Amino acid sequence: MTSRVMRAAAISSGCLAFLIALLCAVLTGSARAAGPNMGTEAQRESGKKLYLTYCSQCHGDAGDGEGYAASRLYPRPRNFTTGKFKVRTTPNGALPTHEDLVNIIKRGMPYTSMPAWPSLSDGQLSDLAYFITTFSPDFSDPEKAPKTVSLPGAPKSTKESIEQGKKLYAETGCDGCHGTLGRGDGPSAPTLVDDWGHPIRPADLTQRWTFRGGSSREDIFRTLSTGLNGTPMPSFLDALKDEERWAMTDFIDSLSESHDPGYTDLVVARHVLDPIDLTKGTAYFESARVARFPIIGQITEPVREFHPPTTSVTVQAIYDTESIALLVRWHDMSAQKTGKNGPSLPVPPEEEEGAPAPAAAGGAQAVTDPFAEEQPAPAAQASEFSDAVSIQVPSQVPTGARKPYFIFGDAQNSVDLWFFDLARPDPVQFTGRGSGNIAPNDTGDLTGVASYDQGEWSVIFKRPLRATSGAPFSPGQFMPIAFSVWDGLSRERGNRRGLTVWYSLYVEPETVPSAVGPMVKTALLILAIELAVIGWVRWRYGSRTRGEFGGKPTQPAATRA
Amino acid sequence: MNILVVLAVVAAFGLLRFGRVSLLVWAGAWWVGIYVLLRFGFTAPIPASVVSLYMGIVSIAILAYVSSSQERRDEISRPLVRFMTDKRYTAFLAATVVAIPALAAANVYVQMNVPLQPPLFSRTVHPASPSEITVHDKKIDLDAGENPFRHLEASSPTEFRTHVENGRKVYYRNCVFCHGDNLAGNGMFVHGLDPIPTNFTDKGTLPMLRETFLFWRIAKGGPGLPEEGGPWDTAMPAWEKFLKEEEMWEAILFLYDSTGQRPRAKEEAAK
Repeated sequence: MTSRVMRAAAISSGCLAFLIALLCAVLTGSARAAGPNMGTEAQRESGKKLYLTYCSQCHGDAGDGEGYAASRLYPRPRNFTTGKFKVRTTPNGALPTHEDLVNIIKRGMPYTSMPAWPSLSDGQLSDLAYFITTFSPDFSDPEKAPKTVSLPGAPKSTKESIEQGKKLYAETGCDGCHGTLGRGDGPSAPTLVDDWGHPIRPADLTQRWTFRGGSSREDIFRTLSTGLNGTPMPSFLDALKDEERWAMTDFIDSLSESHDPGYTDLVVARHVLDPIDLTKGTAYFESARVARFPIIGQITEPVREFHPPTTSVTVQAIYDTESIALLVRWHDMSAQKTGKNGPSLPVPPEEEEGAPAPAAAGGAQAVTDPFAEEQPAPAAQASEFSDAVSIQVPSQVPTGARKPYFIFGDAQNSVDLWFFDLARPDPVQFTGRGSGNIAPNDTGDLTGVASYDQGEWSVIFKRPLRATSGAPFSPGQFMPIAFSVWDGLSRERGNRRGLTVWYSLYVEPETVPSAVGPMVKTALLILAIELAVIGWVRWRYGSRTRGEFGGKPTQPAATRA
Repeated sequence: MNILVVLAVVAAFGLLRFGRVSLLVWAGAWWVGIYVLLRFGFTAPIPASVVSLYMGIVSIAILAYVSSSQERRDEISRPLVRFMTDKRYTAFLAATVVAIPALAAANVYVQMNVPLQPPLFSRTVHPASPSEITVHDKKIDLDAGENPFRHLEASSPTEFRTHVENGRKVYYRNCVFCHGDNLAGNGMFVHGLDPIPTNFTDKGTLPMLRETFLFWRIAKGGPGLPEEGGPWDTAMPAWEKFLKEEEMWEAILFLYDSTGQRPRAKEEAAK
């Protein structure tokens, strides 16, 4: 017995030793694999085929980010030859891991021309990532093999952590680029350029759905920890402790009102009792629901805008007995209150190509490192073009489905443009019969007020419900409505602008009928019918106790009465 | 037809047949059975208004049937009368008397609180093209015409590839913003567009269209659509403003080549 036990013990310890040896071998093996991880020749070859099919048009056959589509894209496609990648789990300046590359191809970058690639299999993504490593010699350098930084799991977000994050946000100087309220409007914002000299915009921290590296708390924490290589966004891995970076994450997490933009197709104008008074500003609009509409580039009429800096507007609407008023708000990193703008200003065709150059516009010094010592004070940015916004409604209430063309109307169906050049004190009205046919139509009906505060434009338009010219607004009616925004700093004017397609404005009737009355009426009516039927049946057949009814056919009641 | 639903209804009727249930149950079963068939039995959904029209007819038919003889009238009324008069059912009867008005009131509430819906325009996605268009002062016959580069596919494959590659460049410099990098109609501006851009990878789209039809839609864009296509809503540019005629034909070659699809052949002349 004992000898058998001992033998068993010997065998098991032998097994154990073997397992340990195996484990060691695996560990050393993987330690070696932590060197260059560039896949096999076959994988890279397969990746190359995919790259030439799907990626090279933007990133270039040579991986230099200079594909034939690149000049119309902003932010510019990544130049792979430098080994600088934005979204990584590795320290600032380091190469990304294989998984980092796979992840970014798979997820894409929101609000850029880099799409997600859900159609590619895991094997294909992996092959592509391996092929991308061939563009930079750094990937084959064992010294530069990427090591991931420690990214500990998320603690719970608390009021205290958000408060601490807010303090750190100011102390660390985040507001220099991202602005005090996180709207991407810090004083340095208009001067920033990436490592290749292209202008680059700091993230609007109040619109997390636009974050390039993803919008989860884990994504934000990773970006704070590793920075975005090739951009002015630094890593805070050494400057801040894990808890501090989590606190900052919680603060940034708290800046967006929602996780998603919540785009809608409808703005509801709410009735207000007091007469609308423009001098009271935006306070009036508190009762009105906020509608967010996506802004896209005007890429239908020449000269096109492929990358409008404004990605959405929020709109609220109210009306009193006389007038309707709309409040349009959007974020802009630098207000342009001088110069001029107009819906039909001509733009030379060559401005379609190439990234916007705000730094060139103002002649200010470009800043790649906003944290550098003795940083020159960013020069005031100025463009010859001012910021502007317009609301577009049909000149006549549409009958049936027919609407004017969504870009400034057409020859048969004109639109009214409520245009506000924000360098001027008042809005003006135009009649649009297509992009090439816009004429002033100032009846003096339109008034407005605009203000810029901490990275946000708030513009109020007010017009009589029944104006001397233009479609009347009537309660209970839907009206097509569209918006355009011009960013002066990006030299937007005329057709180069951000716009929306047609959406709807609904003028909510003053009193929304309550459902209680009809509900009670219906219920009482049905109850009365029920009681009448039961009463009649009981009267005819009498109330019975069990069994009396039997299985016999009912006798006609008349004989019993 | 949704076979599973049809089979389930048939099975339920079979069970009732062997269960020897009363006429009242049969009447109810026919009503419910036909409703289920109309509502869930068809793969393409039938509009609610049409369903309620049919159900009205069904209700009348059932009433006519059950009241067509004294025997049937008695068979129907007996259980109902028992339910309303028998003391055993008093509590159940009271509950029913309360429940029906409550449900009706709830229905009124739901009807009055439908979320606001902007008026809907149901556009025709691929309206008929004109038979001839003029692009850059040149008349293009859409009925009898062909893609001028298509014949190269057989006669000169290398030259054909050059044109496909030119088409790829045109696509990625112009179309990609809406139709997307993988041609699936999901470009970077798609969240701000209504109607949404065409998905070229869809098996039911490109193969159903002739190249000359695509040429018309590309050259004349949204504004070139007839009324039923909703020309005022679509952001599709009239590409003749930006592209040469050859570039548009080349882009069409690329669309078919990249998605591995074949254009629809020319219709045979009607005999």
